[in-house]
Amino acid sequence: MDPSQQIREKAKELLTSGAVQCVIGYERATDGVTARPLFAYEVEDVDRFIFDQTCSHNLTRYLLDKRDKDTAVVAKPCDSRAINLLLNEKQIQRERVFVIGVACQGVVETEWNHVTERLQTRCELCRQHTPVIYDFLVGEAPEEEPPSQAYPDVSQIEARPIAERRSLWEGHFSRCIRCYACRQVCPGCYCTECFVEQLDPLWAGIRIAPPENEIWHTIRAFHLAGRCIGCNECERVCPVNIPLSLLNRKLEKEVDQLFGFQAGLSAEALPPFATFEKEEILE
Amino acid sequence: MMAQFISKKDLLAWLEKLIQERTLIAPARTNDLLLFQLISRVDDIVLNSNTELSPKECFFPATETLFTVRTNEGHTELVAETVDRETVIFGLRPCDAMGIALIDRPFLAEPADTLYGQHRARTILVGLACSQPKGECFCTSLGGGPDDATHLDILLTEVEDGYIVQAVTERGKEILPPVAERELPLPPTPSLEAIPTEGLPEVMKRFFEAPYWSRLADRCLHCNICAYVCPTCYCFDVRDYSTKGTVERVRSWESCQSPGFTRIAGGYDPRPTKGARLRQRFYHKFLYFPEQFGALGCVGCGRCIRACPVNIDIREIISDIQRMGAKGGA
Amino acid sequence: MEPNPFIPYLATLKSKLDLTPDVKLLTVELEDPALQDSFNYRPGQFAFLSAFGVGEAPFGMVSVSYRKQGLEFAVRRIGTVTRALHELEPGASLGVRGPFGNYFPLEEYRGKNMIIIGGGIGMAPLRPVITTILDHRDDYNEVLIINGARTPKDLVFAPEFDLWGKAPGTTLELTVDRGDESWEGRVALVPDVIRELKPSPHNAIAITCGPPIMIRFVLQQLKELGFADEQIVTTLEGKMKCGLGKCARCNIGDKYICQDGPVFTFAQISKFIEQF
Repeated sequence: MDPSQQIREKAKELLTSGAVQCVIGYERATDGVTARPLFAYEVEDVDRFIFDQTCSHNLTRYLLDKRDKDTAVVAKPCDSRAINLLLNEKQIQRERVFVIGVACQGVVETEWNHVTERLQTRCELCRQHTPVIYDFLVGEAPEEEPPSQAYPDVSQIEARPIAERRSLWEGHFSRCIRCYACRQVCPGCYCTECFVEQLDPLWAGIRIAPPENEIWHTIRAFHLAGRCIGCNECERVCPVNIPLSLLNRKLEKEVDQLFGFQAGLSAEALPPFATFEKEEILE
Repeated sequence: MMAQFISKKDLLAWLEKLIQERTLIAPARTNDLLLFQLISRVDDIVLNSNTELSPKECFFPATETLFTVRTNEGHTELVAETVDRETVIFGLRPCDAMGIALIDRPFLAEPADTLYGQHRARTILVGLACSQPKGECFCTSLGGGPDDATHLDILLTEVEDGYIVQAVTERGKEILPPVAERELPLPPTPSLEAIPTEGLPEVMKRFFEAPYWSRLADRCLHCNICAYVCPTCYCFDVRDYSTKGTVERVRSWESCQSPGFTRIAGGYDPRPTKGARLRQRFYHKFLYFPEQFGALGCVGCGRCIRACPVNIDIREIISDIQRMGAKGGA
Repeated sequence: MEPNPFIPYLATLKSKLDLTPDVKLLTVELEDPALQDSFNYRPGQFAFLSAFGVGEAPFGMVSVSYRKQGLEFAVRRIGTVTRALHELEPGASLGVRGPFGNYFPLEEYRGKNMIIIGGGIGMAPLRPVITTILDHRDDYNEVLIINGARTPKDLVFAPEFDLWGKAPGTTLELTVDRGDESWEGRVALVPDVIRELKPSPHNAIAITCGPPIMIRFVLQQLKELGFADEQIVTTLEGKMKCGLGKCARCNIGDKYICQDGPVFTFAQISKFIEQF
């Protein structure tokens, strides 16, 4: 049975039995070729569910809007790591979430009305093809060797001279219009008052200009260090093509090397920056 | 018909001249994006498509200093910013020109916004008719059209090896390049999908309390993308910045979609839910703006449709509301 | 050339007075004496006060223009701008932008029984209404003032209670949600006081301001007593950035609090498409 059909049947079962009030999955967008999130509350809606390589969105961030409701969510392997992150950080309750995990062959690069055959970079470098947490599994994981080098994209930038890297990022940050789509789409960004909205102290404030844009992106990346699960939604939604995933993956690489830790692989492991062991006190 | 014609070669020469004499802004490419940018080389101009961001930023920049506070020996002075440069925007489409005319209404209404007014007074709009509208374009459903010259100073329409030039205003006539009279047919107006905007404000009135809005808001991220790419969205925030003894009062874009847009100090927020915020954007465009200014607050440029990461499609919303209206109820 | 409406008038803080633990009365004078003299406003209107380096916020004028005793604002410390204003010392420079908004049409209320109902800092926009009425006492009929606050210390215009209470044909009813050791007065919520006193709607106008929840229950009580929507007037609050109807933030439907308000009757409010 194809994944779309499996999801439809599972959704129908969950809604009919009342196990959940809402199933969050994907449907076809109005351009006829890409995907968009679908919130199904009634059984009649389940036939709209699809799953294919255009289903890029990380739907788990919507669990933060449905904390007091029983909800099912379709989660690819990367998305499922976000569920573990939110469980680690006590943002959602396990009993309220039914995870329809989908074994994934990767999603392709898409933009409005245009679907390519190119896998997204994160999919090329992906090490999990099966969700790390699920209540029901759809599809079969492909047999594949994990990539030999985990961060070739980051290493490539690291190899360049500092002045060149500075100029590269200055160019990127100068285009930022502070739409905050990167923050709003991220499951890890759920602070009720984001630092960028704080007025006292004023970290960045409202000015949309390169210096403030740089503060915004670098501090957000640091707030996600050890927490980012690499869905790269931030980069996909950016309207001015800033390669945000590079910032997050750079810090992901650092945390991996320093602490041997990757976010969201288990629901129990705590992120490094939220843990303090007595042994860590240096003499 | 007899039309005024300029060859591609003469047009380029005219643009070179404008670069020398004034500030020229036109669409140019950066990182796979087409944006209105300051042009120093004519070759950088790209005209095959509309830009990702609208040209409203030429009159209403993303960030603008309103005034600076200078303190000297206990004496305080407020120094206003002024706009001095003479600008020509080249290659803007009829939908965007209409967008500027629409945001003129709130900005130039009494008391007029001084900086906006100065930008407007010092800018000439040279438009380009659309020969290949995108699938998402629907300007004709909003009183505009792909070759509509209204709201422009000059309109160019591409023909073989050159452009037909229409001088619309006196300001346009003043900077007009040398043109030749030629017997030329105007290219046919491309046709666009019709979106049912007829009577929209009246129908909107009936569905304010409908659960439609909170359902739609389920997938909305409440970022600011739609408002920022939109030619007719104009909300802004104002805040002081203090650096090393100089204080600047700065205005920046903001959007009614931001969480906390209406939250007052102390925490009370009259619009706390996602549904209420999403509803505000469409009611502002399709009911409040028409009630205030007599026109729908949308020009059918299609940018929000292309840019929204979760496919909140304004055409779908208009059709849904009209369908709900036709069914009766509410 | 028209003046830039975003640029405030320069002003000096003349004095500040503690009214409650978190409310101060700031008296401000415009630097330009001609401007100060011609800065006329009516009860209900507001101005933006700028704490330069921090920002601006809107405050109702609590003084009356015709007395020419300086511009007074009752500022409650609740956010960054109000905190900065509280920290200014007399002699400091600040900005004033205004006057904005509409006003209470007090001339239309001549001959009527006036019922003024305020809670907490909501008394601030009502104080110039009371001052005007008492300064033109013969123009109005009976006056009832109901003033509530969380605790006795939070009653904002305590220094004026004597004046208000002793004015002819004027009743001042104070109430608090919670008393303290020295409070001997009424302990009740404002809507309960209305229910107790049962003011008549005959030839009356009720003007009310306070926290949204108080206004909701005050409205309910007044309607139960037979007040029509046109007889109940309030002043609304909203987050504002420009005061000019341009930043599109304070709108309720197509009405802008900064331009079409802040004073609205309940007849107008009940027609609003969005209920705040």
